[in-house]
Amino acid sequence: MGPVTGSFFDGQHAGRHRVEVTLDEGAGTLIVTGPSLSAPLQWPLGRLRALEDLARDYSLTLTLHAETEDEAPRDPARLTIREPAMTARIREVCPDLRKRDLHRGTWRKIWTRSAMAIGAVVLMLFVILPRMADTLATLIPIEREIAFGKSVIAQMERALGATDLGDLRCDGAEGRAALDRMVARLTEGQDLQYDLNVQVFDHEMVNAFAAPGGQVVVMRGLIEDASGPDAVAAVLAHEIGHVEARDATRIALRAAGSAGLLSMVLGDFTGGTIAVVLGERIMQASYTREAEAAADVFALDMLNEAGVDSTGMAEFFDHIDGLQGDFKIPEYLSTHPASEARAERARDNAAEQGATTPVLSEAEWQVLKGICG
Amino acid sequence: MMSVNSVGTKETLEGHYAGQRKPLFNIAVVTALLTTLTFGIYRFWAKTRLRRYIWSSISDGRDSLEYTGTGLEKFLGFLVAVVVLAIYLGVVQMGLYYLGLTLFTEPQTTEQAAMQSAALLITVLAVLPLVFFAKYRARRYKLARTRWRGIRFGAEKGAWGYAALAMFHWMVSILSLGLLLPWQTFRLERYVTDRSWYGDAPFQQGGKWTALLPMMGHIYLGLLIMLGGGALAAMMNLPQEGALMAGLGYFWFIAGIVLYRVKSFAYLTNTKALDGNIHFEAEIDTTALVATVFLGALAVLLISAAVYGALGAGIFFAMMPAVLMGQGAIFIGVILVIAGYLLATAVISSLALVWVIQPILHQIVDSITVHNADELNFIEQRSFDEGADAEGFADALDLAAPV
Repeated sequence: MGPVTGSFFDGQHAGRHRVEVTLDEGAGTLIVTGPSLSAPLQWPLGRLRALEDLARDYSLTLTLHAETEDEAPRDPARLTIREPAMTARIREVCPDLRKRDLHRGTWRKIWTRSAMAIGAVVLMLFVILPRMADTLATLIPIEREIAFGKSVIAQMERALGATDLGDLRCDGAEGRAALDRMVARLTEGQDLQYDLNVQVFDHEMVNAFAAPGGQVVVMRGLIEDASGPDAVAAVLAHEIGHVEARDATRIALRAAGSAGLLSMVLGDFTGGTIAVVLGERIMQASYTREAEAAADVFALDMLNEAGVDSTGMAEFFDHIDGLQGDFKIPEYLSTHPASEARAERARDNAAEQGATTPVLSEAEWQVLKGICG
Repeated sequence: MMSVNSVGTKETLEGHYAGQRKPLFNIAVVTALLTTLTFGIYRFWAKTRLRRYIWSSISDGRDSLEYTGTGLEKFLGFLVAVVVLAIYLGVVQMGLYYLGLTLFTEPQTTEQAAMQSAALLITVLAVLPLVFFAKYRARRYKLARTRWRGIRFGAEKGAWGYAALAMFHWMVSILSLGLLLPWQTFRLERYVTDRSWYGDAPFQQGGKWTALLPMMGHIYLGLLIMLGGGALAAMMNLPQEGALMAGLGYFWFIAGIVLYRVKSFAYLTNTKALDGNIHFEAEIDTTALVATVFLGALAVLLISAAVYGALGAGIFFAMMPAVLMGQGAIFIGVILVIAGYLLATAVISSLALVWVIQPILHQIVDSITVHNADELNFIEQRSFDEGADAEGFADALDLAAPV
């Protein structure tokens, strides 16, 4: 059918060729002739491809499938036809008009590059960054680490509602003495790298934490809820484990290194933020769970050395387990190992322990409970 | 070999934008949904389809631009960028954080502690030069994948030079409190224009940066009104009038930014040349354009509110009977709610493109005239540019907007 007029660009020059286009279905070609063309063009219908998503959808712009080095295997020449009957007929008789052609070797490229990208991210997150964090954490001068730890504690105080530094610190003199005795009993004969600075904060949260440089904070809520001095001693031993392993510094360094890596991979699409937050939580949780388990082992060793009954530790974990109630965070999301398993390990340890004595006398324990006045 | 229809006359071309709301909206919503459902992987193809539509909307009334980029090459470029960035960012961010830690001293007050922690934000420095680097490379890729009359546009390599220049000028602009922003605008535009090509013809940026200085006028005026509002509230004890005036100043300030961008764009277009003798003219109705921006933003706001409202009502009407019917029906209700939520977010994420960006583009394209256009007939093809990382870095750093 045809001829109809069209405009043709040869892909070499910007000049427009006015052409006549004839569709020869018998021969299976589209014939393009024009005064400015040196010879008529014969485009095989099977190799015709159309440009897609065009704003002016009444016009049809054609190109040819060809093995070029371009971004897509396409001939650089373009032919635009607007005559409705012709464009409709071409759309009808050309089966591959919308076919997406790929360069040879594209799939291999996709697989190797995907593997490289995934490999690089996994290697960084789980091998290189953790190693780097471990090394840097040992390189940092101890006085800087202490300053950093104090800064963290100050931030924590502020977050817990203190207006001035020291507002939350409990320093009843007798309670302080009892606490010091507990720390001394635990650390006696141990070769620790850090001077411990143990404090009690006046807050009802049942929690304790270790900041860099030997800073340990126990909340009043934990002491009040504890079954006895042995439980508090177990928590302290656990936090000392964190201190000795430099966990806080290591985890902060790791987090700094891996910041943004996940959001980089996922991009900012709808719902992407949720995926990023969830992913970072899982990653962070897996880091800290490891550290928690190691601190538990350290704590049991410390209790055994000091001759303190680890039943207190088991009771404490039972208590935590009870606080969580029926709704439990799945372990892969949680920053701590499951409390039941931790309690069980402490009980197993207690069964094998030799002779033990309470870490504080009943009188001392009552004094410690009143440290916040 | 050349077409001979315009020999002897000085031909001019008028820009024409053919894109419409509905088809662009359809593409945007469908691709946004697919992107969410594929956990973001489809975004490279989504961007490709949007660009194909927008590029093909821009013409001289006869021949449209063509976007030839592919989703696949963007995906592949992104994978390479991930490898480089994962290693670079991981190591440099941690190193900077460590440096930050070694600067810590014992805090005396909580404010001091907060300030020290803020110092750890220096890890952002790791990304900054890469942002400009990625921006230039993304622009180079976009030009390399744009064709008109079958001829490729293109840009020379020069991303690191651009990054250095941009860092310098941002510093100068910030230190001068924005006073020297025109210097930055002009120098960066000249850097990229002087490295841009259409076929074998180079672009050139003429003009002077000082010509941009007065175009900042309304920005300062807006700031002054805001300050005046603050003064009114604080010193004259008129909080309501002060807030009103500050609000007005804020809108004035925003309009000032739009005006500056439009006017400087027009000036920089009018002082560009292609191949030494093809000139451009942008005659933009600035008032109409500012109105477009504000009305468009208002439309986005209202439609978003309507969509969220409809979503809320939909959730209510889907869940109420489901809860009454029990287990199985609740499951179906939840599926319906999730589908509705995905659709609603896809619609809302498409609104800005359709109601603000495309209308702006429409007005700008329609306002452009190309003088001495018969010279275009002598321009020849340039060779294929593999297009750097096909925007991979820009995408990984969340910089690659569709337009």
